[in-house]
Amino acid sequence: MDPLDLARAQFATTTSFHFLFVLLTLGLVTLVAVVQTGFALTGRPVLERMARFWGRIYVVNYALGIATGIVMEFQFGLNWSGLSTYAGDVFGAPLAIETLVAFFLESTFLGLWIFGWGRLNRWAHLALIWLVTATAYASAFWIMVANGFLQHPVGHEEQGGVLRLVDFGALLVNPTFTAAFLHVVGAALTVGGVFVVGVSAYHFIRRTAEVDFFRRSLRLGVVTTAISAPFLVGAGIAQFPVINELQPDKFAGRPGLGIPLSVMMLIGVALVLASWTAVPLLARDLVIRLRFPLYLMVLGIPLPFVAAIGGWVVREVGRQPWLVHGLLRTEDALSPVSATAVLTSFIAFTGVFTALAITDWVLISRIARRGPEVTPVPRPVSALVL
Amino acid sequence: MEALWIVLLGSLTAGYFALAGFDYGTALLFRFVGRDEPERTRVLGAMTPFALGNEVWLVAAVGVLFGAFPRLEGELLSGHHGVFTAIVTGLVVFTASVQLRGNSRAWDVPLIAGALAVAVGWGWLAADLTGAPAPLWGAGVVALFAVHGGTFLAWRLPGRSGERAGALARSLVLPCAAFVPAVVLLSGSARHPELAVVGAVAVVVLLLGSRLASGRTAFACTALACALPVPVVFAAADVVHVETMAHTATLTVLTPVALVVLPLVLLFQWATWWMHRA
Repeated sequence: MDPLDLARAQFATTTSFHFLFVLLTLGLVTLVAVVQTGFALTGRPVLERMARFWGRIYVVNYALGIATGIVMEFQFGLNWSGLSTYAGDVFGAPLAIETLVAFFLESTFLGLWIFGWGRLNRWAHLALIWLVTATAYASAFWIMVANGFLQHPVGHEEQGGVLRLVDFGALLVNPTFTAAFLHVVGAALTVGGVFVVGVSAYHFIRRTAEVDFFRRSLRLGVVTTAISAPFLVGAGIAQFPVINELQPDKFAGRPGLGIPLSVMMLIGVALVLASWTAVPLLARDLVIRLRFPLYLMVLGIPLPFVAAIGGWVVREVGRQPWLVHGLLRTEDALSPVSATAVLTSFIAFTGVFTALAITDWVLISRIARRGPEVTPVPRPVSALVL
Repeated sequence: MEALWIVLLGSLTAGYFALAGFDYGTALLFRFVGRDEPERTRVLGAMTPFALGNEVWLVAAVGVLFGAFPRLEGELLSGHHGVFTAIVTGLVVFTASVQLRGNSRAWDVPLIAGALAVAVGWGWLAADLTGAPAPLWGAGVVALFAVHGGTFLAWRLPGRSGERAGALARSLVLPCAAFVPAVVLLSGSARHPELAVVGAVAVVVLLLGSRLASGRTAFACTALACALPVPVVFAAADVVHVETMAHTATLTVLTPVALVVLPLVLLFQWATWWMHRA
């Protein structure tokens, strides 16, 4: 294989892994913040246990996901130095803001939140989880600003063979950014909702003794999904006029893209219908007593992840052969590196990522299956051993 | 404004070495500092609350490199593809293992190997930039981080394990202090050798200072000794040029963000130290 194919395969692989981590992180942190707010307001022990249990799964996913984010950041300079040379003045700005505002601040807030249980004042601790949530969404915001620029470059002019920033505001109202960002937010909340519903349903199938705990969790997840899924589908549909206008050749001559697109749309519509059917069934716990919906809920856990990968493939493969649409071809952005160098990093990163993903799934499913702690939890010794 | 961003890039990178340096050092030493499993868990537990916050200084530095020095970023990373692949792989393995270690000893090998890969990787990069032999630089950075980690543990841990960490750190100070002038003498391609000499003298003084002092003061000495090679190597090898920087328009957008975020990070990272005060 030549270095271009290898570098593209590496980017696709690492980004797919990274995206799976990110979606669950964003979705879960929001639900944890909501539950912890409930605890702060009412002081109910069940809400504290919920915040700790779902928070622990969230932290596992974050701590392993952050490692994938580090690779994403380095990968641009390693394999795509042509991008930073040509468009770094414009594309680099939102990316730099993302690392400063989101990565840097978010990890600092999160470290305090993880180790702050029982040490910090209840309201200060609550403020921390909302700061983590806000910076997590800020991260998605700035990454999508950067990605929106690749789809439809705005706010720049070419001087001496490189792009210069002339209108930063244009990046923020870029139509390929706005709808896509809302779509990603909807996807993250849906992933979080479906995940919480699925894990809670699993415990009802196993006839859990923690009825109050998982009943509240299941309701929260169903309502979140019922609100976010239509929003997700709507923001998805809202992108078609933008694509038709700005990237008319996205689907033309690319019949292969129809499959991921249809899969994503089918799953989106199915989740809207399923969550809207589940909401009335929450009355008198019908959804739990009927039992068969519980099995569907468990089976539903992977669906939003599959849809998300489909959506990402459509967006990014549909941009080819351009890295920056109409300005910089992917092949021209490749670093002057040998195929061996790219292959080495491809193998190293993919190997590590696969190990991370497997570890993540094993740990999360172990914590999820075991259910909440019964005894008071001791102080954490590390981020994952809460 | 260009000067502000050069200082910012330098501070973030130096901050990363001063802070994450003791993460790696702790990982390299904890099997020697702790004699049995409960002790080893306690030794690692002294470092883990800070690990995430320490590592992200590098993430922030690379973000600044991308946003404010786009043409340097591409050249530096792609020009040292193999080195950075080793560093990033080591970082990922290390970061994940720190979080996963807990009471599970299965993560000891990836934890130590990750820290070692990162330390050797940075040494290798410094060797590439200055022309000094890579094995020497690699061993030197490993020793430097180990001294820093040992000093950190001696400060933070009570009792026997703290004493053992201090003894390990003190025994590594002299080899470290010998390595520093050696790399300066052997660095062929440095554009500004006078800077390298001044930097080397300062690092040696700091290392010897850490041996005489104890507790927080010794830790400050080794932290500075880890951070100082960053500006020295970059200045001596003449890596950063204004032509590689983004245009004023981009820097104008980024400056307020940095001015808001940095004090916040410093404040909240200080809060982390305050919450875990020794």
